[in-house]
Amino acid sequence: MTADPRPSTVELTNTSRWYGNVVAVNDVTMTLGPGVTGLLGPNGAGKSTLLHMMAGFLPPSRGQVRLGGEPTWRNPSIYRVLGLVSEREAVHQFLTGWEFVLASARLHRLRDPEGAARRAIALVEMADGQGRRIDTYSKGMRQRIRVAAALVHDPRVLLLDEPFNGMDPRQRLHMMDLLHRLGDAGHTVLFSSHILEEVEQVSGTVQVMVAGRLAASGDYRTIRRLMTNRPHVFAIQSTDDRRLAVALMGQESVAGVEVGPGGLTVRAGDYGTFTRALPKVALREGVRVRRLLPSDESLESVFSYLVAS
Amino acid sequence: MINMTIARITARGLFGRRRFLLLLPLPVLLVALAALAQALGAEPADWAEPVLLGLGVAVVLPVMALIVGTGVLGAEIDDGTLVHILAKPLPRREIIVAKLTVAVAVTAATVGAAMFAAGLVAGSARLGAGLAAGTAVGALAYSALFLALSLVTRRPVLLGLLYVLIWEGLLSNMLTGTRVLSVQHYVIAIADRVGDTPLLTGAVSVPVAAGMAAVFTAGGVALAIDRLRSFTLAGETS
Amino acid sequence: MSEAPARGGASPAGVIHDIGYQRYAGPRLGRRYAVRSLYVHSLRTAFGLGRSAKAKIFPWLVVSLIGAVAAVLTAIRAQSGQMLVPYVDFPEAITVLVLLFCAVVGPELVSRDLRGGVLPLYFSRPLRRGDYALAKLAALVTAVWLPLFGAQLLMFLGGAFSVDGLGAVWDEFGDFVPGVLYSGVHAVVFASLALLIASLAGRRAVAAGAVVAVFLATTPVVGVLSALGTETTRQLAALASPMTLVGGVGDWLFVPPGAGTDPARFGPLYGGAAVALVTACVILLLARYRRVAR
Repeated sequence: MTADPRPSTVELTNTSRWYGNVVAVNDVTMTLGPGVTGLLGPNGAGKSTLLHMMAGFLPPSRGQVRLGGEPTWRNPSIYRVLGLVSEREAVHQFLTGWEFVLASARLHRLRDPEGAARRAIALVEMADGQGRRIDTYSKGMRQRIRVAAALVHDPRVLLLDEPFNGMDPRQRLHMMDLLHRLGDAGHTVLFSSHILEEVEQVSGTVQVMVAGRLAASGDYRTIRRLMTNRPHVFAIQSTDDRRLAVALMGQESVAGVEVGPGGLTVRAGDYGTFTRALPKVALREGVRVRRLLPSDESLESVFSYLVAS
Repeated sequence: MINMTIARITARGLFGRRRFLLLLPLPVLLVALAALAQALGAEPADWAEPVLLGLGVAVVLPVMALIVGTGVLGAEIDDGTLVHILAKPLPRREIIVAKLTVAVAVTAATVGAAMFAAGLVAGSARLGAGLAAGTAVGALAYSALFLALSLVTRRPVLLGLLYVLIWEGLLSNMLTGTRVLSVQHYVIAIADRVGDTPLLTGAVSVPVAAGMAAVFTAGGVALAIDRLRSFTLAGETS
Repeated sequence: MSEAPARGGASPAGVIHDIGYQRYAGPRLGRRYAVRSLYVHSLRTAFGLGRSAKAKIFPWLVVSLIGAVAAVLTAIRAQSGQMLVPYVDFPEAITVLVLLFCAVVGPELVSRDLRGGVLPLYFSRPLRRGDYALAKLAALVTAVWLPLFGAQLLMFLGGAFSVDGLGAVWDEFGDFVPGVLYSGVHAVVFASLALLIASLAGRRAVAAGAVVAVFLATTPVVGVLSALGTETTRQLAALASPMTLVGGVGDWLFVPPGAGTDPARFGPLYGGAAVALVTACVILLLARYRRVAR
């Protein structure tokens, strides 16, 4: 195998993975390059499955998963350039933090295992607790020591499965900062999350997965803007629905109005303009608005917009 | 050769858990029983068979090998810490060999020492050495088998118990043809040959015993290596 | 009047809305019902009912093996008229299968709860700690006894149909009942000891290994003791292992005198020892569940 000139690239081509009738990952094609990428999606979207395929712990049912040009399945040599922090918290409980990271360094056959271990532990700020057994650690400390063990061999590619679980805000900031530094230095970092706020701070690209499919990729802010450009749906209950409906149809910001037994369903193109216009219209028509609910505020409906596109 | 880091972690994992201490009574019981029989003045010919074979080879060796052999890998699979070992650029063969070495060493040392002592009491040092040699071979074959089982199924101890109790316990005593496939008989054959004693008679010939033990070992190791290469993690765990 | 449209659901200050939550004021079924439910549920778990297919494999495999043995014996009886294994000898003949069943089902009942840390959920209900232990024990005893009873029933039906006359059937029944009672003794002794050992381990695998180890390791002790020493030692040797202990009780209670080699004077000792063993196991089991926190 000739070495790929860019060994830090992860490529998925038409990758699918199914278990019997359940399709966990559905025809995903993506390329991960240097920098930080966030893998976003609700629970059950297939993020862990995708990460495990990239890390060589799950074979794709169809398609290819390659790291630096080589397939990841049944190929232990990829771990020379790959570091994985899995979702399961389990670590050998009887080891101290230092012993765990040192063992990791030794198993990677590094030339200077102690030095590498020291550096990795300093990177995650665990130097104080390294002498204690891991079963005395808090959840966040355990996360950090696992990240240290994954970083000990300075991998080109780092995969983290829900790394911010159990971290307090300060630790999360620090970890995010660490990931960004790695990304800026040219490493390929991928982390998964289902919490929007964590991904918001990612300065790199975002991959959005919904129900096993890749729904959106690219810069987070661009995607947000694309989403905000879609029609927003509001449910309105008022004292005179039909009259309000007629008046709203005359507004530029309104794309469509549906009259139903439970009230009006209004599709508005521009969020801001509509919410400013509605009270004026209601006042002019003498209609009192009883309820105004945006029906698509949840993450789920946001994602389903992306899928429907 | 043998990855010392993995061996050390595996050994610490074994000894750190209480389960291992729970099994020390078995070898001790073996020696105690032999000593008791000797103290009561009984003829070795009377009690050698039930103690050395009925307790030692048929119970102590398989049960110890089962708990240790399924524990070196099975425990890490169960609690998910195997990922840390696997996410390293190590050939899987190295991992299996290291774990197998630990399992064989622990089983052979504890049970072998007890069998040696019991053999010493029963007859001579030669008998003791023969039993220890047979135990070592048995430990090798059993450990390889149970190591492979812990990768092949999710309930390796259950299948191992079925094998020991039903296959080796019942069937190979009833159907003489199956003795060729029973590790206990290899142990007895080798102990008989090395110990050179009238107290034990092997039912299979020594070349067959040694060869089949090698087959069990090689087969178990090969299967374990292949299964470890295809080790998968499930998807979403939460 | 212009007012900003209220965002649905948001109140200005904090308010707790009355959405009709009501406390349950009806009858509660209480402790006895809880114990009975736990017993039934454990019994179903033992045979894998209400669980996935994989959980059914092992118990039903052992049950079918026991049934197969009984069927073969019945067939032989029908063909040759000769009873190879009388009812009272049946449990001892398949003692390995009974042991295997205990070693697998016992941990299934108690080790899973220990491992999963669900004991606080049980104990925060009307169910007391002792009730939990006793219900599980009763379930295991029943689960062990049922296959034995079923097999002996099969043998009885086969035997009843192959003999002529009501008198012969009545004789058959007279043999059948002691066999069933003996199965019960077998079940009680085995289950108490197995459950005690299983309740000490959280992993099913370790518990199963430990149960097998305890039962099997004591058998050669009996062998040694019976091979040497005085006549008395020989007679008492069977006390050392649960399997032979039950055999001793069976000889005393169920085998007509003169048919076996056992003098009647040690029979009551065996009976007493069996009762003592069961009592000790139950007490230790209760103590174990009084102590365990989660």
